[in-house]
Amino acid sequence: MTGSLRATNPNPSSGNMIRDSALGLVPETLDHYMGLNRKIWESGLLGPAAIEIARLRNARKVNCVFCKSVRYDIARADGLSEDKVAMIQDDFRDSALSQREKLILAFTDQFLNDPGGLTDALKAELLAQFSQTELVHLSMAVAHFSGFSRCAVSLGGMPDSLPVMEISLPS
Amino acid sequence: MSWLSNGDDRESTLSVLPDIAENFTALYHSLWVQPHLPAEILEVCRLRLAQLHRSAVEWQRRDCAIPTAKSEHLARWDTHSDFSDAERACLAFTEVYAMDTQALTDELAAGVKGHFGDAGLVMLVEALGIFDGMTRLSLLWQLPADSIHPAVGEALR
Repeated sequence: MTGSLRATNPNPSSGNMIRDSALGLVPETLDHYMGLNRKIWESGLLGPAAIEIARLRNARKVNCVFCKSVRYDIARADGLSEDKVAMIQDDFRDSALSQREKLILAFTDQFLNDPGGLTDALKAELLAQFSQTELVHLSMAVAHFSGFSRCAVSLGGMPDSLPVMEISLPS
Repeated sequence: MSWLSNGDDRESTLSVLPDIAENFTALYHSLWVQPHLPAEILEVCRLRLAQLHRSAVEWQRRDCAIPTAKSEHLARWDTHSDFSDAERACLAFTEVYAMDTQALTDELAAGVKGHFGDAGLVMLVEALGIFDGMTRLSLLWQLPADSIHPAVGEALR
């Protein structure tokens, strides 16, 4: 476990795992946070399977055990299989993932590893496969997931592992 | 104009996704008016992240007014008299957060909670997640900074 649980919600009563977590201590931001999460999944141009690929890559890179264990039901319904999830590894470029899926992972890695070092070559590849609006959508998804997973890690109490669990978008 | 939009700043880049932009703007605004952590402290933490990421765009941005001397001395926050114990606790947490979130310790968290309680710590990590993400996007989007004054270059060095 990564340190002790560093903040707790003394009144978990909603039945919603996010609202009942320590995030519930700051209700002034929580509704906006949840609202943004829903819009990222539902109102952009990229589908849930594509978004889930970026989310899981971030989860693995940041090593958020909670985030790694989760599968969104809408992503599975959109065609994201566990076989595909298993390819979200450092050697993804040699995998059977599609070119678009590989570029989603490359973009996520660039954000996490060296956001100021984007090369002209990767930029050209991205623009050949995605519209500019899709790339803004992917950007906001990755930034949101990065912030959320770092938040979970920062608050401590992370177990060493968890089984895979399917969830729906929290309301 | 950046490589992926006709915009040259965060707001114009996000405007191509109005639903997401509206929700993000509401969330971002809520950070500065909540009661758990003073906005001035959030701003020095945001600026410290900008320094650590060497982001001129985010360094030039101002979301909350702070004394000029404080931004000038931010790289020496740990010893400079401009910074209070509460600011130092939050900046110490911010620096480790920026370098390796997994390396955060219970002691660093306790330092923040000693001044602002559990809710203050939660507020700080929520805000750092958003600041860090948007700083990375400013770099990745290659948003143009205003003409760089030598003092900006010095602050990011």
